[in-house]
Order: sequence, then structure tokens, then C-alpha cells
Amino acid sequence: MTDTVAESIQELDQAQVLRTAAGSRRRRYLAVVLGWLVFIGLWWLLSLWVGSEARLPSPGRVFQEIVIILQGDFWTQFWASIVRVVAGFLAAVLIGTPVGFFMGRSKYWGNFLQSPVIVAGSIPGLTYAVMAFVVFGISFWGPVLAVGLIAMPYVAINVAEGVRGVDRRLVEMSTAYGRNERQVFRHVTVPSVLPFVFAGVRLSFSLAWKVGTLTEVFGSSKGIGFQIRRNYQLFNMPAVIAWVLLFVLFMLLVERFILVRLERRLFRWRQWERDA
Amino acid sequence: MTVAPVAIPEAPAPPGRIRHWLRSPVGAQVTAAVVFIGAWQLLTLIAPRVPGPIEVVQFLYIEITGGSHGGIVRGQFFQHFAITLQRFSLGLLIGFVGGLFVGVLIGVSGLARALLNDTVLVLLTMPAFVWAFLTTMWFGITWQAPVLTVAFTTFPFVAINVAQGVRAITPELKHMSTAFEVGRSKQFRHLIVPAVAGYIFAGLRFAIIVGWNGILLSEWFSGQAGVGFRTRYWFDANRYRGFVGWVIVFIVFIVVVDRVILNRLQKRAFHWRDASEADFIEIEERQVGL
Repeated sequence: MTDTVAESIQELDQAQVLRTAAGSRRRRYLAVVLGWLVFIGLWWLLSLWVGSEARLPSPGRVFQEIVIILQGDFWTQFWASIVRVVAGFLAAVLIGTPVGFFMGRSKYWGNFLQSPVIVAGSIPGLTYAVMAFVVFGISFWGPVLAVGLIAMPYVAINVAEGVRGVDRRLVEMSTAYGRNERQVFRHVTVPSVLPFVFAGVRLSFSLAWKVGTLTEVFGSSKGIGFQIRRNYQLFNMPAVIAWVLLFVLFMLLVERFILVRLERRLFRWRQWERDA
Repeated sequence: MTVAPVAIPEAPAPPGRIRHWLRSPVGAQVTAAVVFIGAWQLLTLIAPRVPGPIEVVQFLYIEITGGSHGGIVRGQFFQHFAITLQRFSLGLLIGFVGGLFVGVLIGVSGLARALLNDTVLVLLTMPAFVWAFLTTMWFGITWQAPVLTVAFTTFPFVAINVAQGVRAITPELKHMSTAFEVGRSKQFRHLIVPAVAGYIFAGLRFAIIVGWNGILLSEWFSGQAGVGFRTRYWFDANRYRGFVGWVIVFIVFIVVVDRVILNRLQKRAFHWRDASEADFIEIEERQVGL
């Protein structure tokens, strides 16, 4: 009897908790939507006050432009940028991983490479963009070089951290059970360092995209950066804002739906480790 | 992963003071610098259009002392640097104060967070050159364009960090101090300020890195004076030694300000924090987008 009373009270409590949780979630979504409405409303009022499409077009006008772009060459331009940035990240991983490996493995190389990597990490993006333009002119390879250079220090620092963090006991145990160096490398070092390679890419993701598009501003005939610059030179404000908004939306979606999920999957084994 | 499983050769350890020094951390860093400059010099032999280290130093000497670059073009280092610093500080001030205000708001109130968080994220994602373009289209080639570029690019970084700091104040401590009737001003001084100060400082550091990039871009695209403008001036004149010289100037500036001054200040001021928290800020810092 007392048990059932306790249970029913518990059920009641749970139902209430669920209801309030759902309520607060609904309220939060409402506030987020309201936030967007306030943002767009303020923008609209400001555009009315400015009263010039060339200076600040209304949200509706920009939306029209977005629809035009989506029906037109949205995918061609985005695809061009995506291919370059991905190629740049590949280059950064290919160079940054061995560099980070050296840094993590040996104290001497750690000291040797420390300052160069830190300085490389604080160089303003403008430098890379102009350098890529000087080296390659208007070409596919400019943004690849810039993205590679900007992401490389991040990959290196993270891989070094990962190499330092490889579990000594695992290595010792593997050696004790007669595994050779190659096997230890393949089955202990690589799996524990791999997530750190990804972390390097993840941390430099938005930075590298920004520098990639900046490089397209300087030396490209395609891509998002080139489109923003072309419309800037044509003084086509609605199109500039439309391309920028598409870029921002794209970045936020990729971060939220692809990178966060990938991260969870790659680090899942560590969660298990912690749970055990 | 193309790394071969080789043992990395530690530098050999023969006797001798010089060799010993070469293996020390400082020795390794000096070796790295020498190797870098040597590689740069070698590069000029392969690609003659690349200005060598000596040429660049000569250029910087003339530029700083105000000597003649040939003809009537004279060195103008301090004029441009001073103008950029003025604009940079003003923009940083605006962005910082705005970010502080919005950050506290987001951190304190759930409603403000829901309302403003996405807007701040959108601003965070916007590349700095976009602000350089937009401000130029709004204000033309004026001083407002670079100042506002700095303000717009720094604002979201400060806001996000401050909000994080405000939310990091442990509610248990707050309840406890209220329960033990610790006064409001005492709570503010001993609980809130120490909890938030580290985040504000971290936010300021991001803001300085990001804003510096922003002002260079803005001056490059639409300046009539300033570091970015002068860099472009030499670039357009096809005098690459001037371009490289100024690039070195603005890199050295940001490395000295961020790594040498602010990093040390931060370590000294927040040495009481436990190491994990310091690491956390260090890692967060790498999420900086320029």
C-alpha cells in the first residue's frame, strides 16, 4: 500500500518534471524564435530609417536576393570553395601531423618547433591571403595554400598534445606481451592520436574558412569570397549581404550538424572508458 | 597518417658547453630562428623576386628613421603606426564595452540568452573582411570604417567569453555566501569579480588578436593611412621588400602584445587558478576566428 502511494507520488513528480521541462523547452524555443524576429525587425526598422537600398537593404530585399542565388549558381560557388578548403585541410593534416608527432615525441624538437608554431598561429589572415596570391596568382591553389598554412599549427599543437598523452602503461604492456614497435604504433599510438588530429581541424575550422574566403577575395574567379568581392565592387549591397548570410548559415549548420556529431563519434571510446 | 614508426633521434649528447647549450630549450629556439633565416636566405637564391632578410632590414631602417627610399618617397613609420593604434584602441574600446554589456546580460538572464545568443553567433561567424567591405560601403574611405570594423569583429568574442564567465560563477558559493549573510559588495568583490575576471581577460585577448586582423584588412581595402594602408602601398608599388617589412612589423606587434605581455600578465594575475582551468582557457583560445 505504502509502496503504491510512494510510486504514484513518484509518477506524479516525474510527470510534473517532464511537463515543466517540456514547458521550459517550449519557452526557450519561443524566445529563440522571438530573438530572430527582434533581430529582423530591428534590421527592417533601421533599413527604413536609412532609406537607401545601396546602404542598408531591407530583410525582404535580401531574402529575394537569397532566393535568386539559391536558384542560380549557389552550388557551383559553394562547391568551389568547399573543395579548396577541404584540400587545404588535407595539406594541413599531412604536414601538421608529422610536425606535431616530432614535437610530442622529443623534448628537443618540442622546443625547436614551439616558437615557429606559436608565431605561425598568430599571423593575421591577410598575410596568408596576399602571400597565396603572390605565389599562385588567380588560381585554385591559392586558397588551398592559405587554408593549409593557417590550419597547420592547430593540427601540430593538438597532435603533439595527443602524442604526449599516449598511455605509457598501454605501450609498456604491449611491449611486455611482445608486440613490436610497428604494432604498438598501429594499434596504440594511431588510435589515441587520431582524435587530436580531428580536434586540430575542428578548432581551426571557422578560422580556416574565413581565411579561405579572404584568399578568394584576392585571387580567384570562383567561390564565395569572389562573389562577395564582385558584388562589393558593383556596389550591390543586397547581394553582398545575401552571400554573407548564406555563408554564415552554411558555417553554423556544418558546425552544429556535422562537426559536433563527428566529434562525438570519434571521442565515443573515451566516454566508454570513463563510464567503465 | 604517413608517419613511419621510427624513433625520433634526440640530439646527441657529447661533452662541451656549447653542445650542452644547443640542446637546452633556449638553444633549440635560437637554432630554430637561425635555421628559419637561413632558409629564407636560400629561398631568395632560388626565387630572386623574394626579398631577402638583409634587404628587408635595410628597408625597415629607412622606413623607421624617415630616410629616403629613393626619389621623394620617405620613410613614414611612426605616422602610420600611430594612426592605426588610435583607431585600434577606439574600436577595441567600443567592442569591449558593448561585448561586456551584452555578455553580462546573456550570462545573467535566460531570456536574454535565448534572445541574443544566435545573433552573437552569427556575428562571430562573419569574416572580418566582410565588415571591412560593409563599413566602407556605409562610410566611404574615412576613419569610421576601420574603427567600426574593429568594434564589430571584437564585440562577439568579448560577449561570448563574458557570458561564459558569468555562468561559471558557482551557484553553491553564491547560496552559501547569501546564507552566511555576506554583504552584496563583499560578494561582488570576492565571488563575482574573481570568477569573471579570467574570462574577461581571455575575451580581451581574443579581441586584440581578432581586432588587429580586422583593422589591417579594413585599412588594406579602404585606408588612406595606417599600417594596413602602408603595407598595401608597397605591395601595389611592386616593392616586395616594403611589403614583407611591414608584414613583419604587424606580426611582431601582435606576437609581442599577445604572447609576451598579455600571456605573462594573465599567468601572473590568475596563477591561483588550478592548472586545468588555465588549460581550458588556453584551449578555448584556439577557437578564435579571425
